[in-house]
Amino acid sequence: MDLDAQFTRTADHGGQQHQLWKRFKKQKVLHVFVGLGMIFLLIFSYTPMFGILMAFKDYSISNGIKGIFTSEWVGLRYFDEFIHDYQFATIVRNTLVLSLLKVIFAFPAPILLAILLNEVKNMAFKRFVQTISYLPHFISWVVVVGVSYAFLSADVGMVNRALVETGLIDKPLNILTSPNYFWGLAVGSAIWKEMGWWTIIFLAAITGINPSLYEAAEMDGAGRLARIRYITLPGIRGTIVVVLVLTIGSILGGGLVGSNFEQAYLYGNSINNPTSEIVQTYAFKVGLSDGRFSYAAAIDLIQSVISVILIFSSNFIAKRVSGSSLF
Amino acid sequence: MKTIKSYKLLAAALSAVLAFTMLSACGGNGNGGDSAAKQDGDSSASSGGVKELSLFIDAPWYPVKEWKGPVAEKITEKTGVKLNVTVATDDKQLPLMIASGDLPDLVFTYANIDRLSDSKLSYPWNELIEKYAPDFKIDKTRIAIHTMDDGNFYTVRNSFATQEEMAQNKYSIGSDGHPGIAVREDILKELGNPPIQSLDDFVKVLGMVKQKHPEMVPLVLDKEWVEQYFMQQFGTEALIDGWYERDSKIDYAIRQPKMLEYFKFMNSLYRNGYILAENFAFANDQIDDQYVTSGKAFAHGYTVSAAEADNNKIKSNGGAFTLKMLPSALSKDAKAVSTGLGFAGTFITKKNKDPEASIKFIQYLASDEGKKLTMFGVEGEHWTWNEAGYPNLKYDPSDADFVNGNGIKWWYLYNDGVTEGMLSYVPGAQKTQALMETKAITTYKPAIGLIQTQPDSKEKTLKTKIDEMIKNEKVKIYLAKSEEEAVANYENMVKTAENMGLQQLVDWANETYQKKKSLFE
Repeated sequence: MDLDAQFTRTADHGGQQHQLWKRFKKQKVLHVFVGLGMIFLLIFSYTPMFGILMAFKDYSISNGIKGIFTSEWVGLRYFDEFIHDYQFATIVRNTLVLSLLKVIFAFPAPILLAILLNEVKNMAFKRFVQTISYLPHFISWVVVVGVSYAFLSADVGMVNRALVETGLIDKPLNILTSPNYFWGLAVGSAIWKEMGWWTIIFLAAITGINPSLYEAAEMDGAGRLARIRYITLPGIRGTIVVVLVLTIGSILGGGLVGSNFEQAYLYGNSINNPTSEIVQTYAFKVGLSDGRFSYAAAIDLIQSVISVILIFSSNFIAKRVSGSSLF
Repeated sequence: MKTIKSYKLLAAALSAVLAFTMLSACGGNGNGGDSAAKQDGDSSASSGGVKELSLFIDAPWYPVKEWKGPVAEKITEKTGVKLNVTVATDDKQLPLMIASGDLPDLVFTYANIDRLSDSKLSYPWNELIEKYAPDFKIDKTRIAIHTMDDGNFYTVRNSFATQEEMAQNKYSIGSDGHPGIAVREDILKELGNPPIQSLDDFVKVLGMVKQKHPEMVPLVLDKEWVEQYFMQQFGTEALIDGWYERDSKIDYAIRQPKMLEYFKFMNSLYRNGYILAENFAFANDQIDDQYVTSGKAFAHGYTVSAAEADNNKIKSNGGAFTLKMLPSALSKDAKAVSTGLGFAGTFITKKNKDPEASIKFIQYLASDEGKKLTMFGVEGEHWTWNEAGYPNLKYDPSDADFVNGNGIKWWYLYNDGVTEGMLSYVPGAQKTQALMETKAITTYKPAIGLIQTQPDSKEKTLKTKIDEMIKNEKVKIYLAKSEEEAVANYENMVKTAENMGLQQLVDWANETYQKKKSLFE
């Protein structure tokens, strides 16, 4: 009896294995694609992670790669140093505020634009707006910042000139060189650059909604706003949640619109430093300018830990609240 | 069946292409530098016995970017060495190259001297000299200055001269690297040529300019020369991140008694609208020049060569106005203390493929002939020696286009302050005048320059952090909305430095100073 059972189980197991192998063979082309992706991740995302070791070691770059393993352990010394840095509070605040502002303002922007575009019935106009709005995505930040100087500089910027000459303001605004404007500048320019790009995803999701729903609603007397509220928004809820979770996962890098580092580095100067210095630019400075790789690694590691916590908790909340989630 | 097969073939081909592009892209990213380096290596034995060495210049602003022109050709003729030059795109490039181990044969730097003075990265000159160039003699002071804690010296900075050397050579009046302010002559005339003999006079004139020409910026400062001129007028003894001596004790520059006066003055310039806030955030050193040459600024804070350099540019732009220098000393307190140990030095890296040729190349540059060739140009063609003890130049040393185009001065991978100081001696030139005024108020304290932090030491970390903090905080003083706020910000800056461990750093500096100052006695 026992033996019998065991035999059947093994046979089952063998059968299952066979089945699995058969399925695998059928999908082998797909597996090649997946495998390539996994090799990529392994080589470029996992292998370099051994470098994290240096955050806990007294590492000097002149010791080469080997030095990462051979240098002396120092425990949490660099973490402690960062936490006690005179700018620690400012840097962390700037990173969090900039990131949060981007989630609050930059995340809904493409959804709004997608809905607006969806309501446009003139196809030529719709395409025109869509093209114009996603083109900035392809301009690099270096160029965007260069262009902003031409527009926003207090002395020669077109915008300031126009505002002063029309008498709207008496003195030009130091948009590029004042700590008060940096966050607005960063969030505004990020929305301008990336909104159109992300609109594509939401427009695609809206296209997937069954048109008969709209027709039925119209018959029932639902107005435009009601249709948006009861059909469009629920129809793209899944997409919104997935994009939101991804956004929160990369929130410290700027979320959906990204580019916290590029903006802080390129727009940043000694005048707006009190609001523009963020964890990444600080790590970049101490790591590369001062050659303190261990310290920079520790700083970045702190940021990564915060990011991981954020992505898991946002995923958990999304699952609870909306039923859809990333994993 | 056939369609499935062709689909599979297509899929396989696609994935192969994908894999290939991915790998080649990665290879390209990671090894771009290597392949470039290899190319250099391959071409090294070319063209009839001339050796080619790669040189990295760690100065994004460097005006010569290629090994060409009569001076470079003459050096190649004399040494059999040709340089393949790369000029940094920004100040992070060399640190990145050090990090990736991707160094050229030679590196010329001022910002990373302590980091490259490391036996893992560079050959010690003393070893190379002993082995390949025993007749290359360098004087004791220069060796002492550059000897690291491991007993080796890895470079010798150019632009250095001792007080005695400077005193003995009256025609050596110093390099361009001294601050100066130039003002528009036409506007001064329009204002009735008010005298500018003191800082107060100058401020008054700035006020008049602002009133009469509200569209103009009264004063624009080069981003590298914001502080030096006015600090000199207030008689501070060290720049903001330097050391100064009081009663044979060393202290950090920000605690100098005159520092606060200087900051209050700068803040008042800003509050009165004489300098732009943007001036403290200029992204490059061309912006100030554009203000001046386009006629949008009245005064230009730059070096002693400001007036002549600007006038040359304005002339070639077809402008009709000229600038003239203000006196180098605008107050009776004016003082310049030279604690300099020189400017930049050349390193022979461990990746160097021919250390022997490299040290002999430097030996030639260090010879009297080599120094004059690099600094003045080709003898006969560019200059003849005046028996009084200076070169009669056949060109205007402030004509940047000519100087840079011919590669004059900038190949000073090894040179000294005396030779360099003679390049400025042009009887009758404004720069000559400004430099002679500066020399008159200069005292030399090179021993202070010996207080140098060692790479990877805790003092270096501490000093870097304090300097970075000062860089951020000083702007808040300059741009304060009232004098009280400026004073409060200044006090806060000093207090923050003290909280960060300034005293510890000062104690270390005193200890080092007491140990090392005997080198100059």
